[in-house]
Amino acid sequence: MRNDEELLEAARCGDEAAFTALYQRRQGAVYRFALHMSGDAAISEDVTQEVFLALLEGGGRFDPSRGTLLSFLYGVARNLVLRRVDKKPFEEADEIATDEDVLEDLTRRETIEAVRSAVLSLPMQYREAVVLCDLENASYEDAAAALDCPVGTVRSRLSRGRAMLAQKLTAKAVRSMS
Amino acid sequence: MSEDRVLQALKALAENDRGKEAPLAVETRLLGGFRSRRSNHRWRWVGIAAIAAGVVLAVFMSTNRATKPVVSMGPPANQVPRQEQAPVVAVATLAPHKAARKMARPQAREVVTDFFPLMDPAPPFERGQMLRVQLPASAMRTVGLPVREDHLADPIQADVLVGEEGMARAIRFVRFDVQ
Repeated sequence: MRNDEELLEAARCGDEAAFTALYQRRQGAVYRFALHMSGDAAISEDVTQEVFLALLEGGGRFDPSRGTLLSFLYGVARNLVLRRVDKKPFEEADEIATDEDVLEDLTRRETIEAVRSAVLSLPMQYREAVVLCDLENASYEDAAAALDCPVGTVRSRLSRGRAMLAQKLTAKAVRSMS
Repeated sequence: MSEDRVLQALKALAENDRGKEAPLAVETRLLGGFRSRRSNHRWRWVGIAAIAAGVVLAVFMSTNRATKPVVSMGPPANQVPRQEQAPVVAVATLAPHKAARKMARPQAREVVTDFFPLMDPAPPFERGQMLRVQLPASAMRTVGLPVREDHLADPIQADVLVGEEGMARAIRFVRFDVQ
């Protein structure tokens, strides 16, 4: 099976099957990244389309020495999302809960939507680290390449983002119980 | 809440959304764009090839035209005083291809005279074209070359240097020596 770089090279030479294979392999990750970052299906659809159009038009800008093609796609998607999503002010958690079992009181569905909402309320720099590393299972290296920052920065943002999520989810659970 | 709990919650969200993908319409639109782009890419190369072919053809025709005879090569009489005496250049006639080919057969060696100016004084010459024409031998007398009376009407070949403005600047005569 051809790797991403080989498919891209073939696609740029006019190989439609290669382009289709590359799209089908990576569109889900790009779409979900945009969805978790924006919370908007329409935006995610547009971003996915524009990412692959950009790949066709500017695929030459992809530099394998700087990261994988997937990290390149995340990077393009990130820039497109940032243009569309309003910069929401950071919402501090209402309160810090200490009960570690409160999350169990939420139904699974509620939990998922609560987590989705909490992720969307994170400041952008923490949100993108959490989405890439925890939701899309991107490596720290790929995340660093996509976010154009050092790996250490990704780690610290991820740690801080998780801590913020803990606060938000606990507070939400507490509100739900009360 | 511990970080493990947060990670569990994030994992639940990731698993829930694992099957989410872009609608099929996105792939359809992208493939349409891909085909259009490929088509444009092909046409661009066709265009480039056509332009290149045109340039080659133009160069070829220009080169070919330079060796083709012309109907009239004569400059206005007021610019070439010598034509009043013997306007041979002005009466140049079209040389048939057949005759030209016959004269340029491989075994014939081309011998040419020096160029004789047709304009006096001549304006600065920057670029122009040399045209092969057929003239009566009497034309040679206009530049002072001797021609026997019984050969004045014989056809001869000459190269006329035409300036960019279309004026005949100079002429040289051609003889073919059969080897």
